[in-house]
Amino acid sequence: MAKAKGYSDPKMEEKLKDRYYYREYSNPDFTKKVHDLARTVNHMCFQCGTCTGSCPSAPRSSYRIRLFMRRNVMGLEDESLTDPDLWLCTTCYCCTDRCPRDIAPTDVIMAMRNIAYQRGIVPVNFLKTVQAIYQSGHGVPNNDVNRAVRVRLGLAKDPPTTHSYPEFLPGIRQIIDHWHVKEKADKIVAEAEKHG
Amino acid sequence: MADTKSKVKETKAKVTDQKPRIGVFVCHCGTNIAGVVDVKAIIEYAKTVPNVVHAEDYQYVCSTPGQKKITDAIKEKNLTGTVVAACSPRLHEPTFRRATKEGGLNPFRFEMANIREQGTWVHMHDPAGATEKAKDAIRIAVAKASLLEDLTPKSVAVEHAAMVVGAGIAGMQAALDLANAGIKTYLVEKLPSIGGRMSQLDKTFPTLDCSQCILTPKMVDVGRAENIELLTYHEVDAVEGFIGNFDVTLRKKANGVLSMAEAEAKGISGGGCNGCGDCEPVCPVIKPNPFEMGMKPRKAIYIYHPQVVPLLYTIDFDSCIKCGLCVTACGEKKAIDLEMKDELRKVKVGTVVLALGYDMFPVENKREWGYKQFDNVVNSLELERLICASGPTAGHLIRPSDGQTPKRVAFVLCAGSRDNTGIGKPYCSRFCCMYSLKHAHQIIEKIPGVIPYIFYMDIRSFGKMYEEFYYRIQDEGAKFIRGRVANILEDPVTKNLHVYAEDTMLNRPIDLEVDMVVLAAAVQPAADTDRTRKLFGVSCSQDGWLLEAHPKLNPCGTTTAGVFVAGVCQGPKDIPDTVAQAEGAASAASIPIHIGKVELEPYFAQCIEEKCAGCGMCVNLCPYSALSLVDKEGGGKVMQVTEAKCKGCGTCGGFCPGGAIWMQHFATPQVIAQIDAFLLGGAK
Amino acid sequence: MAEAKGHDYALFLGCIAPNRYPGCESAGIACSKKLGINLHPMKGASCCPAPGAFGSIDLNVWYAMAARNVVIAEKMGMDIALECNGCYKSIYEVNEKLKHNDDLRDMVNEVLKTVPDPTDPTKKGTMEFKGTIDVFHLIELYSDPKICGPDRIKESVTRPLTGTRIGVHYGCHLIKPKKERHLGDTENPMWIEELVAALGAEPVQYRKKMQCCGAGGGVRGYDLVHAIDITNEKLGYLHDAKVDAVTEVCPFCQLQFDRGQIEIKEKFGKMWGLPVLHFNELLGLAQGMSPTDLALDMHAIPVDPFLKKIL
Repeated sequence: MAKAKGYSDPKMEEKLKDRYYYREYSNPDFTKKVHDLARTVNHMCFQCGTCTGSCPSAPRSSYRIRLFMRRNVMGLEDESLTDPDLWLCTTCYCCTDRCPRDIAPTDVIMAMRNIAYQRGIVPVNFLKTVQAIYQSGHGVPNNDVNRAVRVRLGLAKDPPTTHSYPEFLPGIRQIIDHWHVKEKADKIVAEAEKHG
Repeated sequence: MADTKSKVKETKAKVTDQKPRIGVFVCHCGTNIAGVVDVKAIIEYAKTVPNVVHAEDYQYVCSTPGQKKITDAIKEKNLTGTVVAACSPRLHEPTFRRATKEGGLNPFRFEMANIREQGTWVHMHDPAGATEKAKDAIRIAVAKASLLEDLTPKSVAVEHAAMVVGAGIAGMQAALDLANAGIKTYLVEKLPSIGGRMSQLDKTFPTLDCSQCILTPKMVDVGRAENIELLTYHEVDAVEGFIGNFDVTLRKKANGVLSMAEAEAKGISGGGCNGCGDCEPVCPVIKPNPFEMGMKPRKAIYIYHPQVVPLLYTIDFDSCIKCGLCVTACGEKKAIDLEMKDELRKVKVGTVVLALGYDMFPVENKREWGYKQFDNVVNSLELERLICASGPTAGHLIRPSDGQTPKRVAFVLCAGSRDNTGIGKPYCSRFCCMYSLKHAHQIIEKIPGVIPYIFYMDIRSFGKMYEEFYYRIQDEGAKFIRGRVANILEDPVTKNLHVYAEDTMLNRPIDLEVDMVVLAAAVQPAADTDRTRKLFGVSCSQDGWLLEAHPKLNPCGTTTAGVFVAGVCQGPKDIPDTVAQAEGAASAASIPIHIGKVELEPYFAQCIEEKCAGCGMCVNLCPYSALSLVDKEGGGKVMQVTEAKCKGCGTCGGFCPGGAIWMQHFATPQVIAQIDAFLLGGAK
Repeated sequence: MAEAKGHDYALFLGCIAPNRYPGCESAGIACSKKLGINLHPMKGASCCPAPGAFGSIDLNVWYAMAARNVVIAEKMGMDIALECNGCYKSIYEVNEKLKHNDDLRDMVNEVLKTVPDPTDPTKKGTMEFKGTIDVFHLIELYSDPKICGPDRIKESVTRPLTGTRIGVHYGCHLIKPKKERHLGDTENPMWIEELVAALGAEPVQYRKKMQCCGAGGGVRGYDLVHAIDITNEKLGYLHDAKVDAVTEVCPFCQLQFDRGQIEIKEKFGKMWGLPVLHFNELLGLAQGMSPTDLALDMHAIPVDPFLKKIL
């Protein structure tokens, strides 16, 4: 899972000694992998900073989307995936609308998150949404207070979704299980809870 | 001109009677070719191709010893034709034709097989395939060479006059050079004055010369040059003809005002416009002034700017209400004619220089920067007028919202340039970095305590003394922020602007409040460029700039013989580069005129009279009006070719139902032989 | 396509509207009907699924689950209408991506084959993404003069919101990325303002109108303080512009602005007290529905100051 912010990393010291673009940390396949998932010209970044300048998260954190784009161009996989800032993108797509190189940096971030998840690096809140959807078909499920209000409004107490038709849940679970996402989510969440 | 009937018969006889003896020369081009294909195998193969009596290879066939191999082989082996397998004919066809000629053959007995651009370069990862393709190319070339005939280029007389379209600094310079070289030059300008964009600028970088001060002497020179016929407020309407003999139809747009010469010609003695300006104050119509970027009013009768050449008022008939007040004010001079209509006129010139200039990219399309949404966001040409002593504010920089003097000014570089979104322009507009540095200097000079903030991605200060200028402006206190501007928002109360960007050097997002923003907007081809270039048959590149004949080795020429380009219309460039290219274009345009004749490739259509039924269908098909029907000896009609007009496109030859048209150098038997050689292989 | 079918749409509900702000759902159905838009329930639909959560973890699952929802509407033979920007991102974008990328469509259909039929859960092998329908946000249907348009909305108003000042929050995924949407300018759009004006209210411009609410991309769950800091900035600008309410077209943005204000009070000690209303709720009020019928009592921030101006 992702580390909390504000960590001090002895590995960073190590990296800073290496002035050859972190050769041993760099993975040329990373750029390609990101490209396949993001379906954008991620390798074309020229570091103008329009993305960071557009980013609502940048002024209130150390998250710099330009930096992730740079790491992506140079294939710095570990450095990208282990940086907790990766999870601060609100996916507002301002950077994507304005990027002069017509790259979709937002989709680059999403692709990197996918790759991070494959390596088990992922904040638990993302996984809890998965668990909720697996359970009920809804990321934000119904509750009794809301059911009462729905009835008052003349609506069915549960919406005509999987809530009213739970017989569709096995199909949805099948989709999620096809990529073993629930299984992996359970494992990572359990691990995280064990470590508090 | 078309006395070729007997020759057709004669050469055709020659083609069929002679037993072909072809020599093949394969060029290594260093490793360009030999590094990919198996040259030895190709030579061995060439020797097996029918009609080949000689085959050899050489490191560089285009070199002097390489050419000697061709001349020697022609003599020793009594060759009837030569084939060189090497690069594109665009590069070395003239070289090898010359070598063939020196060997004693007609130069058109030479055929080229392109095994580099269309072979080793595109198939560098497939040596075996490239080798086979080279063999095919040689076999096809030999098939054609075996049927080639002797041809003689035609020469045509060149009209001793030139035309320059566009009278900005590029057009003016080209016209002056042509005129000074003794050539009658028509200088055509769509606006009422010459001078172009440069006359809108305040100062020029890096010398900080006053733009008008260095421009107006040239304008005066142009106005007075005996060999220049100045045609302001004119547009090109139609173009016919070819190098040496362009017939250009010009439209003299109705300006409603008679010059003194025109008045004289109409018998109004001592009349015509002397530029006194009595008409302007009485005109009741007020419109925005385009010379001042719309920031100053203009009357319906106006002079374009105070230093116009020629000094002549113009009526904007789109806004004139024909009240007649100006006519009264003009009085006895009788210079104003409110019923004036456009007039057409034809001139004949030998060569043409296009100097069509540029417009600003409509930067309001980049919505994130707020141009035309927020009062205090201006483009750089508007800033030029706002800091120019002759501009709407007499050189006092004020912000449009409230007339206050700005103390913090942000400059946004690459505003629509280097933009692959489809909204802006993918290219670098090339002079914005430098004029923005100049702007920073100018506001520092004018406004004590002002801070210019220059938002940039790269500062491209590539010219002579440009980097030094960059150093100087930084020393003067301009702040350079390395980050492209993401967004500009207005404070609705103060009308100040918040500039959002990342200072990528500090790795920090910034929100900078400034009083005014200047967008260094991209440039794009001037509005009328596409129409004009099509009239002259000139191509353009993807981004709309006119296409030069070769980007490095023929930067002033175009693919249309006799038409040349100068200035920004060929691609963004600053004033020194523009003037240099204009002088280059003028020089190139003067050469055919001074020689007095041009040689045309002899790829003309020829009529085989005994087969021609005189149906005349080809006459209507010809895109160049090169064909006509004439009376035949002994009655009936027969087609005749005006060779100077024929471009050898083959439209008529492909169409002729009787097979009566012989396309020289691309004759049907030659082309069929090539196709056969390709499809049937080449076993002896 | 929609016109031929007489403005019938499959209503994709998503999660937050039906399960947290049921007034959005009831108002959406009732108000649309008055405007000639008939919304039909999509039996067995699920979460869109959440683009921030699933998109961040496994895009394949995101494509496949969203495609399953699209196929339900395909089988109904109707275009989809929905009322949440998050759902719009999933449903609209996946629908378009699968229409234009054969590799993705094949991958998704391979999995959908194993999923039960929406009309009969015992049947399998009938689910296939065909790409036969389009996806719309209700707000774009309201805005489209061919379907509804501001004039028709104006005609439907029985209780004009006269005298109220309303700021519009467009949200992100409705209009961005602009190249993949078809809703025009993303820097300063004005078309929802036109609809707000049609209700009789005064649409108000404010700074950073186009900034994100802060909730998206899983950030609300990952770092709440960070998320509500973004919200807090926008609330400040809305406050500066002296608005009586902010309206949006996304229940997730609504949650962030509405419950977010409680969280802002807790974390930053500032209580803005700004009423937050989904456009459907505003429309319901303007068409004469009572606050109770709209379940406005479910809002964390009382809507009363706004209601006082119009009731």
